[in-house]
Formats: sequence, C-alpha cells, structure tokens
Amino acid sequence: MENKEKNFISAVVYIRNNQETVENFLTKLHGALSGLFERFEIICVDDASEDKSVERIRRYAKERENITLTLLQMSHFHGLELSMDAGNDLSIGDFVYEFDSCLCDYDTGLIEEIYRKSQEGYDIVAAVPDQKLRKSSGVFYTVFQKFSAQRINMKTERFRILSRRAINRIHMMNDSIPYRKVIYANCGLHTDCVTYHSSVSGLQTGERREMTEYRMNLALDSLILFTQAGYKISVRLTTGMMLVTLICALYAAGIFLNGRAITGWTTTMLFLSLAFCGLFGILTIVIKYLSILVHLIFRKKKYTYGSIEKISRE
Amino acid sequence: MEYDKIILGAGIYGLYSADFCARRGERVLVLEYDPKPFSRATYVNQARVHMGYHYPRSLATAVKSAGYFERFVKDYHFCINGEFEQIYATSREFSWTDADEFQKFCEAAGIFCQRVHEGAYFKAGMCDGAFLTREYTYDAMLLKNYFLKNLEIRKNAELRFGVKLQSIQKSGGVYELHTEDGSVLYTPFLLNATYASTNQIIKKIQGEPFPIKYELCEIILCQVQEELKGLGITVMDGPFFSIMPFGRTGLHSLTSVTFTPHMTCYESLPEFDCQKREGSACSPESLGNCNHCMERPETAFPYMKNLAEKYLKEQYRFSYHHSLFSMKPILLASEIDDSRPTVIRVHTKSPAFVSVLSGKINTVYDLDEVLSDGE
Repeated sequence: MENKEKNFISAVVYIRNNQETVENFLTKLHGALSGLFERFEIICVDDASEDKSVERIRRYAKERENITLTLLQMSHFHGLELSMDAGNDLSIGDFVYEFDSCLCDYDTGLIEEIYRKSQEGYDIVAAVPDQKLRKSSGVFYTVFQKFSAQRINMKTERFRILSRRAINRIHMMNDSIPYRKVIYANCGLHTDCVTYHSSVSGLQTGERREMTEYRMNLALDSLILFTQAGYKISVRLTTGMMLVTLICALYAAGIFLNGRAITGWTTTMLFLSLAFCGLFGILTIVIKYLSILVHLIFRKKKYTYGSIEKISRE
Repeated sequence: MEYDKIILGAGIYGLYSADFCARRGERVLVLEYDPKPFSRATYVNQARVHMGYHYPRSLATAVKSAGYFERFVKDYHFCINGEFEQIYATSREFSWTDADEFQKFCEAAGIFCQRVHEGAYFKAGMCDGAFLTREYTYDAMLLKNYFLKNLEIRKNAELRFGVKLQSIQKSGGVYELHTEDGSVLYTPFLLNATYASTNQIIKKIQGEPFPIKYELCEIILCQVQEELKGLGITVMDGPFFSIMPFGRTGLHSLTSVTFTPHMTCYESLPEFDCQKREGSACSPESLGNCNHCMERPETAFPYMKNLAEKYLKEQYRFSYHHSLFSMKPILLASEIDDSRPTVIRVHTKSPAFVSVLSGKINTVYDLDEVLSDGE
C-alpha cells in the first residue's frame, strides 16, 4: 500500500456511444490505477454520444467515493483526434494515459507494464495488439510509409502513455495536432511499444459508418499534411504529361517534315504541346510552393532533437 | 435585555456593521457561534481585495468591485498587502475568455492592466496572454484586531462568543432571541450576517431562503520559493488556479476552481454526509466550523500542485504548509454570468429582519444604506 507510485497520473478515455462497455471499462481502469498509483484522475471525453454513455459515467462516479473523474463533453461530434487533444489539454498528470476506446482486449496488468516501460526512459509507450490489421489500415500505413520522409513504423495502438515532457514538447512544436500518432512519432523523444496478445480473435466488425468516414478523411488529411505523397504524385504526373506533350510536338514536327500536314495543323499542335508543357511546369512549381507553405504553417519548430549531451569539457 | 440592533455573525460583515452602528451611538450586540471572531469565511478565503479582474463576464460586478477597492484600501490600509506583482493570465485552452477579450474588458471597466510576456511565467503554449494588474490581499487577523480594539473602547457595543441560538420570535415591535444558555434578548433590528448559515437563521423566522448551493472549500497555504515571493498568479477563466500572497502572513494561498470545492450540496440547508459522522456538533440546522472539524476532507494539494505546475515555469515552486476549510454559499443565479452581487434582503420591516450575503469583503459598504435605516 505504501509502495504505490508517487507520480500523478491522468487517464484520458475516449467515449463515443459506449453505453454497454463504459462502466465495465472504468471499473477495470480504476482498479488497475488505484492498485498502482497513489494519485490519479480519470478524464472521460464524451464525443457527443447519442446513447446513455454520459448517464452511465455519472452513475459510475456517483457510486464511488474518492474518485477524481472529470467528464468533458464535446458540443458536437469532433472525432477521436480532436477530442483526445481536448482531454489531454485538460489533464494535469505527470504521465498521461490515452485510451482511444473502451475496448479492453488486454489484461489490466498491461496498464502497469506500459507505465514500467515508460520509466525505463521512454517518453511515449504504446500498447499494440497482435491482431491482423484492417485492410484499409494496412493500405494507409503502407502508402504513408512510402511517402513519409521519416521512418515511422505505424501500427494499430490500443492505448498509450505520455510523459508531461512529451506533451510540452508536442505543444511547443505544433500549433494543432491533427493526427497524434505521427506527431508523437516525430516528436524526437524516445518512444516504444509493447505488443500484447489480443483476447479478441479476428477483426472487429460492425464499425459505425461515421467512424469509417472519419477515418477515411483523417487518412487523406494525414497523407497530405505529413507526407510528400501529394507533391511526389503530382510531380510524377506532371513530368509524365510534359513528356507526352513533348512527344506530341515531335510527332507534329515529323508529320510536317514528311509534308503530309494540313495547313495550320502543325502550328496548332506545336502551340498546344508547348503550352501544356509550360502549364504542367508551372503547376509543379505551384505544388512545391503549396507543400512548403503547409509545412511552414503547420510546424512551429524547424528541427526536433532527442537529447543534448555534453561529452567533453575544457 | 434590549438592543437597538443585534447582529448575528462576527465575520467582516458583522463587525463592520457593529462598528458602523456603534459610531452612530446605537446600542449593538454581536452574537457569534464560534469562540472567536473571523473564524470562518472572512479568514478562510483567498484574502483577495477584488478590483474586478475576476469577473470578465460580468462588467457590473467588476465596476462595483473597482469602486469599492480604493475605499477599502484607504480605510483598512494597515491590513493590506500590496507589495507584490499580481499577474492575471488567460489559459489558451478551456478558458471562457481570451487575452484580447480580457484586455477589452479591463479597459471597459476602467481598471489597470498591462500586457506582459506570458513566457516569463508560464510554460510554452499554456497561456495566450498575461497581464500585470493592480490587486491586493488583506490580512484577516490584522483586520480582526482593528475591529476588536475599536469596538472594545465603545461602551455601546457588546460582543458575545460561543452563543448558540435556540429560537427567534416576533413579539410586538421587536424580535425575541432565545439562546441555549437561557438568556433572552430583544431588538427591533436583527441583522443576519452569518454567510454560510444564512438560510439556517432565515428558517428560524420562517423567511424565504436564498437560492444557494453550498461548497465545502479548502484554501491551501503554501511556502513559496524566492521567485514566487513577490508574485501572485491567477490563471483564468475556467478550471484553473490561483496562487497569491495570503495577507501579510508570508504564505501564499493556492486555490483552484476544480479542486478547492470538496463537496457540494444543492439543498436549501447545508446537508453533508460528514455531518452524520461527526455527530451533534454540526447539522443542516446549525453548521459547525469546518476548519476545526475532525471530519474535514483530506487535502487536495497533490492535485492542485500538479495543476499549477502544469502551467508555471520550473522556477516557480512551492510546498505545502497547511490547509484551511470553510463552507461557502454560492448564489445559484450567478453561475452563468459570473457575477457576484451583494444581496441584501429585508425579510420584515418592523421589527426589521435583514439578511446579507456577499462573497467579497470590499463590498461591505453596500450595508451602509440599510444600517442607517434609510436616513
């Protein structure tokens, strides 16, 4: 009892229509945290649930004494990323757990394991189920990694822990956090993950349609914001088109030299080819400008570092 | 025994009224439940002499506070500590106001506010604006001594402590008060200045209670490191915190919107679970002193410390000294617009029964009119 951890812990839980699972999840979470930590708070971020989730949370909190539970209700559906940002901003812990869902397909001992791992010197530690990926997730991660400048090994994460230092760093670096996973991976601090055997066999099914749409949008946004995908694809396309127009020009010139051209056709063709060629060139430059602008607006700091170590002294 | 005025409660409102009436030559009596004056909310609070900064959503409250600020500081200068920099900052997230709005508000209310660099006090990205303001803190114990000394030299003012009221009855043109020790007192003018016990007293005359909720609040007193000594910091407007000098004690008070209230009661009379544990000394009909109660809650210091340290830069550090507890009644109507009006309610005219409820000390002058009987 006296050996409990002294660090103050915040646990941020994302709630979206979880009336069936939320009480059970909170009970498990509270059990795990109270066994491990002297002081902690739980923040439930309710993303405008339409069912009785909020009632269930209230009932849960009322039935217990000595529980610090905050309910943060979003005014309308914001989606996972923004809601969790809000929860994080409200948290005051030295370490913050982020539970992206009420799905508890792990042994609660994992909550401690993740914390212990973070104490070994990792600012962010994620719990990764050994499930097969969703097909859509797999495609997204592959495309993302192909076009990303950094080597990020992206996996489906069930929950994670962050140090206050990491949160401060992330706030310093970014004005907004559209997709936490990438920002966290890019923050330059030590990160790690713990893989566990998921008790849920196979893939979850029955994901709500709004969630699928949300994830699709998020994936597109992330690709544009965090990777060179847009730029690279458009540069390749424009270079290809420029080549095609040049071939067109050559073809027109060949016809003209053979003397089989109708009057005016060659000029038209040459003009069209060159004009398109120039247009594609300009487009490439515009896209380059845009990608630089996005980068400048989006990132506050130009570089990130892991640590500073002085290894020699005069 | 008959008195011109009987005042219930020896807090700032009670002793101010006694002093005010005694100066006018009236024969006054103050009845206090506790053995000493200033034992509850007058002492157990942030000790802020409000200039109005606290109410960015209620210009009326702000303007009024500012008006009384000068007068209070002048009248009671001996208990004022103004020797520190008071910083107000607006939190970047979850605030009901922002830096620009706050500045506009200060200009509208005509109170001093000078923008300073928030990075000097707060971690990056936590606050979107910081302001140097002019606000002071008062020392309740010095103020108490002043009132006691003043009242002592007057023959026409009397203070009784440890008095438990049994009943209040109207008889003819006067109120008849019965105390547990058997004395019977008469007065044509009864002032109820008991703050958290106000509805309990009102109930004794079957008057209309105030629409209030009750919060059991903890004021944490801290020892601060050198860098914080000449500094008071308030982050607003929402679930944030405040750390500022506590009168002239050399300690700082630490409070937060979320962790300062430990328990809340929405009943007309203060009804709490701890009263059942405590036994007879405290009940919904008669509140004991939370500060001396054995059943007072465990301190929320670890929570408040984390909240404050999340915002403050590393050099501003503090440690726990001790806690003070008191019951706070909050008018239900003032939740949305943040206003903190002084409510003076005249329940009956002759004999007169008047209740006063206010959460700020420098609006004590609001009482002048009703105390001078409309002269």
